[in-house]
Amino acid sequence: MKEEALKIIEGVLAQGRKSLVEFEAKEILKAYGLPVPEEKLAKTLDEALKYAEEIGYPVVLKLMSPQILHKSDAKVVLLNIKNPEELRQKWEEIHENARRYRPDAEILGVLVAPMLKVGREIIIGVTEDPQFGHALMFGLGGIFVEVLKDVTFRIIPIEEKDAWKMLREIKGYPILSGARGEPPADMKAIVDLMLRVSKLVDDLRDYIKEMDLNPVFVYPEGEGAVVVDARIILK
Amino acid sequence: MEKSKIAEELRPFFEPKAVAIIGATDKKGKVGNVIFENFKTNKERGIFRGNIYPVNPKLDEIEGYRCYHSIKEVPDDADLAVISIPAKFVPATMRDIAEKGIKSVVIITGGFGELGEEGKRMEREILEIARANGIRVIGPNCVGVYVPDTGVDTVFLPENKMDRPKSGPIAFVTQSGAFAAAMLDWAAGANIGIGKMVSYGNKIDVDDADLMDYFIYDDEIRVVTFYIEGVNDGRKFIEAAKRITAVKPVIALKSGRTEYGAKAASSHTGSLAGADTIYDAVFKQTGIIRAEDFEHMFDMAKAFAKCGLPKGDRIGIITDGGGAGVMASDAVAKFGLRMAELGDETLKFLKEKFPPHAVAGNPTDVVGDTDAQRYRYAIEAFVNDPNVDAIVIITLFQVPLLDEMELIDILSEYAGKSDKPIVAVAMGGKKTEHYAKILEDRGVPVYPTPERGVRALAGLVQYAKYLERRKE
Repeated sequence: MKEEALKIIEGVLAQGRKSLVEFEAKEILKAYGLPVPEEKLAKTLDEALKYAEEIGYPVVLKLMSPQILHKSDAKVVLLNIKNPEELRQKWEEIHENARRYRPDAEILGVLVAPMLKVGREIIIGVTEDPQFGHALMFGLGGIFVEVLKDVTFRIIPIEEKDAWKMLREIKGYPILSGARGEPPADMKAIVDLMLRVSKLVDDLRDYIKEMDLNPVFVYPEGEGAVVVDARIILK
Repeated sequence: MEKSKIAEELRPFFEPKAVAIIGATDKKGKVGNVIFENFKTNKERGIFRGNIYPVNPKLDEIEGYRCYHSIKEVPDDADLAVISIPAKFVPATMRDIAEKGIKSVVIITGGFGELGEEGKRMEREILEIARANGIRVIGPNCVGVYVPDTGVDTVFLPENKMDRPKSGPIAFVTQSGAFAAAMLDWAAGANIGIGKMVSYGNKIDVDDADLMDYFIYDDEIRVVTFYIEGVNDGRKFIEAAKRITAVKPVIALKSGRTEYGAKAASSHTGSLAGADTIYDAVFKQTGIIRAEDFEHMFDMAKAFAKCGLPKGDRIGIITDGGGAGVMASDAVAKFGLRMAELGDETLKFLKEKFPPHAVAGNPTDVVGDTDAQRYRYAIEAFVNDPNVDAIVIITLFQVPLLDEMELIDILSEYAGKSDKPIVAVAMGGKKTEHYAKILEDRGVPVYPTPERGVRALAGLVQYAKYLERRKE
């Protein structure tokens, strides 16, 4: 776990970067057993076409560049690509958008990802406090975090009972427990995610400064969760 | 940390065999004089049982006590040194203390790290001497230690200007000396017993975590209260906090709710994490109960000091005034507690004993023509009802037929024999205050409003739930 993650981190640091692109961040998450989608980094259009076949249409393209951290601002996330024809077209478009946003952007590749079934959105994050060290944040995604700041923190490492307490203490908890008639969300999957992030950060505390898993889609009980987007910032 | 080590290291601060007061003087009002007077007076009262050795190179005698010219000359039983000489002389004095073999030092003197680089350098020097010689230091820039039971009192605010609280099972720890003095004075007026007070100022050595470890093993202390401005070593704090909250409750009041870092953060999470959010997280994770203000802190401390822990969060309310009962019920909801649903037997018993116009229920209203006996029925019923976890008893002492002392006897009797926390609420003026004080001295925590009484109970419930979760 730690060795694989360190290899990625050292590679990034060797390039003089502090910020991991989504693909790199997810490789680290994967090393710690966090659920990430079946995604592949394509360097060429041919590779992209091949991966899209393997994953199955419709697919999503996300352009990876250390200079473009806010991908939606740069319009380098293109959704719901239904066939090879469309993929060829979007391949051009995504590179064009990147050039327009940052002409000097270094492009590491394009992530070919499956179109995910939308789940309830949560955010799991990590920040570092000068006195207490790394803290784990949990909250619901979207307006709940943006506007209402309905989030809760614990110092890493956390224990399982801390994770359950965090889950239940946000104001939006009924949205997860199914207050509006939906089936309850997969709470165990959320707790598992939090514990894995805690372990990951505890192992890599000398390297990691901040981290956002935002959003994470959570599916109904028994169906798990998946990290849709991830950022890691190094010290 | 093993028990014996921390208990041994810090014991001389709280129960010294003999104290050397470095900088003692006969000049009234000087810090070195007030501290000397404190010990001398407490010795005359028979509270401080150790020897007192004033140290001052210019004096041979202070108020009948032999004054030593150097710490090196004092008799060998001295195990605590209190320093109140100018900052620039402190490092050299520390070396003499090390040579003398004294292991516990309170440095009252200010003018160190809080003033700048030279002060910080001296602090480092002092700490190096301390570490090399196994000396523990409280301070500098502090008011030090107050222990009413042993007569240790380094608080340099004289008794004619600042009252001292009586002893009790509450420990109070604070950085700020001014706040320490104000709180002690206030606690004395509010009839709150403080067993040990430590104000550690710049805390170059002994810090919150050390004190938490000490209080784990201090049988005199049932609840520890902290006024926290900042924590140096977060990890050490968390570990010590987890250790002590397994054994006894800790209440913290944290100042400085300002946000930091929001601009510097490059992640979403970083922008949402203010310093205060982090402290909240630390307190939740370690089971420390956070107080909103000092009133809240001591309201809870008083309840912890006098009550056992509730088995649940179901509150029963007994009142002799309908309005006060409603206020208490509102507070139960506001602080996340539940109103107990009384058992059938309880209701039957109360209806049998009550006149038709008294209300059996929750709240139970013994109404304005009550006597003490009607309260007894209600309390008896609530104490025996397994659906009630804690009881709030509102006593409007003003009602005409109520014998105040009889009611006080009943309340203290049940508070003494029942496992359930019982708190009283006495609203009123001077006469009420008089009875409230008697009731409190008899072991029942008393609050001036239903809201404060219920909020104090909520603290007990919070801690009880934390202990439950720890067992899981």
